[in-house]
Formats: sequence, C-alpha cells, structure tokens
Amino acid sequence: MAVQPTLASAPVAAGQDIHQDTTVKMFLLGAVGYFAIVGVIALIIAAKFVWPEFLGTISYFTYGRMRPLHVNGMLFGWLLAADMGLAYYIVPRLCGVRLWSEKLGVATSILWNIIIVSAIVSLLGGYQKGLEYADLPTPVAVLVVIAWVMFGVNIFGTIATRKYQQMYVSTWYLMGTILWTAFVYLTGNFATLLPGITGVNQANLTWMYTHNAVGLIFTPAGLAVAYYFIPRASNTPLFSHKLSMIGFWSLAFVYVWTGAHHMIHGPISQWLQTISIVFSVMLLIPVWAVVYNFIATMKGQWHQLGDNVSLKFLMSGTVFYLLTCFQGPMHSLRSVNAIVSKTDWIPGHAHMAVLGTFSFMAMAGVYYVIPRVFKTTLHSETLANWSFWLFLIGGLGMFTALWLGGFWQGWQWNNPAIPFIDTVVALKPVWMVRFLSGIMIFGGIVLFMFNIISTAIGAGQRQAIPQPVAVKA
Amino acid sequence: MTDATYASVYFSYFLFFLLAGGAVFFFVRSLRDGYLGSDSEEPKFRMMQDDEGDLPTNSRRTL
Repeated sequence: MAVQPTLASAPVAAGQDIHQDTTVKMFLLGAVGYFAIVGVIALIIAAKFVWPEFLGTISYFTYGRMRPLHVNGMLFGWLLAADMGLAYYIVPRLCGVRLWSEKLGVATSILWNIIIVSAIVSLLGGYQKGLEYADLPTPVAVLVVIAWVMFGVNIFGTIATRKYQQMYVSTWYLMGTILWTAFVYLTGNFATLLPGITGVNQANLTWMYTHNAVGLIFTPAGLAVAYYFIPRASNTPLFSHKLSMIGFWSLAFVYVWTGAHHMIHGPISQWLQTISIVFSVMLLIPVWAVVYNFIATMKGQWHQLGDNVSLKFLMSGTVFYLLTCFQGPMHSLRSVNAIVSKTDWIPGHAHMAVLGTFSFMAMAGVYYVIPRVFKTTLHSETLANWSFWLFLIGGLGMFTALWLGGFWQGWQWNNPAIPFIDTVVALKPVWMVRFLSGIMIFGGIVLFMFNIISTAIGAGQRQAIPQPVAVKA
Repeated sequence: MTDATYASVYFSYFLFFLLAGGAVFFFVRSLRDGYLGSDSEEPKFRMMQDDEGDLPTNSRRTL
C-alpha cells in the first residue's frame, strides 16, 4: 500500500529543484570545521587563565597569538562563513530564482578558505596588526575585501533578478549586512592605518569598527537568518512584516553611532561619549521590535520546542539577544560603565552576543539547511539535542560567571586600597567556571560538527533508504 | 576650553552621515514601494511557500 505523506503531497512550488546549493554546502561545511578547530583554541585560552604556565614556553601557543586567532577564527572562520552560506541558501529562495552565479559562489568559498588558512598561519606565526577584531595582516584583509565584493555581487545579482517585487525582511537585512560591512571593515582595517591616525584617533576608529562589526555585520546577518528560519522551522508565518521593517530601519538609523561607548571615561570628547550613550539606549527600539515579533510568531507554537532543535536554538538565541541588548544600553551609562568597563563583564557580554545569540541562530540554520541541501535526514536528532543542551548550559555558566566576576573585578579596581595583583588572584574561581563551561561548549561544538559532517557524508547512503512516495495532488 | 576634535571623529562622523543619508534614501524608497502600506504583509506569506517538496518527509518533521 502506497504511503501518502501529507507534506510531500502538497503542490510543488515553481521554485522546486532549481537550486544547486554547491556554494551553500562548501561554506557551511567549512564553517563547521573551523568552529571545531577554533573551539580548541578557545579552550586553550580558557585553560591559560586558570593555569597561566600552560603551554607557556611554546611561542605558537602564547596568549598573544592564541587570542587573536580565537577571535578572528570564530568571527570570520565560523560565524561569518556560516552566515554567508545561509545567505546563499536564503536569498535565491526568497527571490524565487537561482543564485546569480554558482561558479562565483564556489570561487568565493575557495577564496574564503584561503583567507582563513592564511589567517591561522599568520596569527600563529605572530604576524598581526594588533588591532581588536582587525588583527589580520593587511594582505589577508585585502583578500577579505575581494571575497566580500564577490559575495556582494552574487547576492545583489540574485536580488536584481528576483521574481517578486516586494522583498522579505531577511533580504533587507542581508543587503544591509553587505553594504554596512563594506564601510565598517574598511574603517577598522585600513582607515586605522592612515598617516596621523594614531593613539586616541586610532582607538576611536577601532571601536567604531569593533562595535559595528557586531552591530552592523553579525546582527543584521543573524537577524536575517532568524527571520527566515523561525517561520520556516515552526511552519508559522511571521507575526508582522511591517513591524520587522520598522525594526530594520530603526537599526539602520541607530546602531552606527554607538561605538564610542567603549571609551566612556576615556580621553575622547564628552559630547562624543554622550551621543554614543544616547544612541545606545535608543537601541532598545529595534531590539524590542525584533524580539516581540519573534515571540509573537511563536504564540500557540511553543509546544514545537520539544522536538524541534532548530527552534530551540532560535528561541534561546532570541532570549540571549534580548538580554545582551539590554546589557549593552545599560553598561553604556556612565555610572554602570565606571564599574564594568574593561572587566570580564565585557567578554561575558560579547560571548552572549556572538555565541549565545548569533551562533545559536547560525547553528539553527545549519541544522535546518544541511539535511535539505543534501536531500537526506539529519544523522542524529538525539546528538543535536545534546549539542543544544551542552551549548545552553555551558554558555549560561560562562556568561553568568563573567558578568558576576566582571562586577566583582570592577568594584575591586575602584578601590585603590586593593593591589591590582590581588584582583587577578581573586578572579581565579571565576576563570575556573569559565574553563569548565568551555569544556561543555566545546563538547557541544564537537557533537554539532560530528552530526553535520555525518549527515553530509552519509547522505547518499540514507538516500538509498526507500522513502514514502510523494503523490501529487 | 577647546574641545579636542580628532581627525578620527571627522572621519567616523563622515561615515555616519553617509550611512544615515543612505538609510534615509532607501527608507523613503521603501515607503514609496509600499513596505509599510496595506500590502506589506504579503512577503511573509509568500516566503512560507514550500520549494522543497522533494525532501523525505521525516527530515522536515522536526527540524
């Protein structure tokens, strides 16, 4: 007796089978691999906080080389590559057309891998610019610009040939990501090196870049991913497209001005500090628009979280987004900033944004996309669930330890009677919690990578398993 | 007192205004194209259309 599955018997859309997805596969599998490699580096760094002499005599493993590798590897090797791979998946589908050029996409992926391998080699060798998030040597940064232009041409080329006039909000966010990244990356990696840009001037531009790298690169890319996959994974239309557009435009107007809040109480103009504080607080507008939209979309659908790993990651990421974007405006206030600035609070906040929010959203996308582009089933949903809980528990342990430790550290620093070295020794328990949490997070990364790679490798084998025959209506 | 206005401030604020100007331009265009009008909800329904009808059913059951 023929099985007639309900979903597969639905009328086939016009866009079916037009997507080649080679670029998607290359970017996503590469990103997952780099996630695991850089995860090892993260663990080494966390261990060095607890045992400073650990691998200390080997130059390649010193903190000064490991830390830039961890930061750049996670940002460009994992997260941006994953977001680019997901963009190659999302945009053609939203536009109802093929990717503008699959060959260009493959070439971009190859170039991106050359960039990441070059970054690993140069940063391990100690060749770096020493600028936050812009450590890559200039020749490698030039390659990033070339790759980004190739990516932009392909995505905008696809959008230009779209079937539908009105674009879904994810397309808007991805277009914003491409354009904003151009400004932000050039500022952080090249304008900072111009003659006369030294000292405070350089710091000002660096923080404009660093903060906007999160706010105008990873935020719009991550939200594009979430706006696409929350409705698709839950099979529920977005609550309000109009509200999503309000969120997008308010982000576009507000975010770019906030970078200087990293230098509050520093040697920059007071008026510049005040502007950055005002716009930081105004960030609550786009954040609430986004979070309300996501939560309202899930109204009546929360039961799906029980057996839907992608949704688990997406909605946890949403909660972390709300938390991190509440933290940001609050610690930009002068009174709070006087305590937490330069303390462990900041990496706690940054990890919640980059790992807890945008990596969670990217992982949700990868879990959703990989079985589809390989036309198979996920290798193991049990492992996927385990990876989620390891990420969640490990992440919460790490974020919380760093927030509390940061406050404690800040209070101690504000007391001139306490010798600095005592404040370092006092933080050791906090760093131990971070290390143990890091082991859990790394466990999550390994399971995630194993599951995704196994899904890709075993695709042909599982395809051979007889599937229910689709019956057209 | 003279405010120390750094070269970087001019540079970054030039970029800020460039980005803000671009945002204003495209925002107005999006208004003209009806993104906040009565048909603005259409894209959210269109994006739900299934273009992957050839997938094994169980791969879409939970993920």
